[in-house]
Amino acid sequence: MNIRIPSLVLLALAMPCIASAADYSVQSGSTLGFTSSFQGSSFDGHFNKWNATVSYDPAKLATSKFDVTVDLASAKTGDNDRDSALPGPDFFNAAKYPQAHFVTTAFHQQGSQVVADGMLTLRGVTKPVSLNVVFKPQGGGATLDVTGTVKRLDFGVGGGQYADTSVIGPDVKVTAHLVLGAK
Amino acid sequence: MSLRSDNHQWGSVAKFFHWIVALGILGNGVWGLLMTGMSPSMSKINIYALHKSIGLTVLGLFALRLAWRLYDGAPPDEPMPRWQRNMAHATHALLYLFILAMPLSGWLFNSLHGYPLQWFKLFNLPPLAAKNDALSHLAGEVHEWLFYLLLVVLAGHAGAALKHHFFDRDNVLRRMLPFARVRQSKATSGDLP
Repeated sequence: MNIRIPSLVLLALAMPCIASAADYSVQSGSTLGFTSSFQGSSFDGHFNKWNATVSYDPAKLATSKFDVTVDLASAKTGDNDRDSALPGPDFFNAAKYPQAHFVTTAFHQQGSQVVADGMLTLRGVTKPVSLNVVFKPQGGGATLDVTGTVKRLDFGVGGGQYADTSVIGPDVKVTAHLVLGAK
Repeated sequence: MSLRSDNHQWGSVAKFFHWIVALGILGNGVWGLLMTGMSPSMSKINIYALHKSIGLTVLGLFALRLAWRLYDGAPPDEPMPRWQRNMAHATHALLYLFILAMPLSGWLFNSLHGYPLQWFKLFNLPPLAAKNDALSHLAGEVHEWLFYLLLVVLAGHAGAALKHHFFDRDNVLRRMLPFARVRQSKATSGDLP
């Protein structure tokens, strides 16, 4: 019986940590990319400038949180024509809406898969977007891989004359790989 | 008019290939020269896509045409001086080369530029080369200049056909025209069965 007392003390000491998920800092080597299609052929792009605050613990999903801000003018896809069109008024309209913002509202478990539900604000429109989360602790830090699908026309990206989804695909797959360090 | 060519005129299949490829190459060439000045828009994307689809169609038709020509043969040459006959054959060979080079150089240009290549939104074709910005400009110039050269050779081809038709009054043009009847042949060697 006497071994129970130290256990309780340890538990009590640990309580403040249990209350909230761990905070991480995003390290270099992290990437935020996207994939869409043009004329039946897929293309990849990425954002050069973005920020994320990550607070995550797979055992404490209720207090976990992602908050991501993306500089839309920093999108690069390896094609000059496309890269000059993307920040323009027909697509991101980065002059008026320089940043996109994603913040989680809740996490839920779908089988073995953790899903982050959140709100994405893009081009002045806010709509729910869900991301699949794969979290792997590594040493003191972790790697975090998230994937999700954004329907570009929900946010008016390439609306108007570019709305024809037989030319520009309707779905944009977003893929982020974050290298996390303990804070 | 039979499907196969005979000793007096081209068959309807050969005529079809001749005129559809002529229309495709010329129409698509003019279309291509006009479209380059467009400012970026969805219409420009669609107009370029159509240009590429038509070009690929010409390439496919040309392959079929070659295969048919090998199977079908050709009517014997109309009577004419030897130098004219040689010039005519050389011009035909050059035209065949240009008809082949037009779509292929466009395909190469498209590949070097890193664009997808789709046939009427139905399926995609692979690139002929890896994306290369430095070479893509040159390939675009070559694609355009091949068309100008084709026009020069075409002028010789069409001009010679008209000369034979209106001045020599022979069957050179008539035997390739879709609905024309060949003139009663003069009793010249090589023109009779």
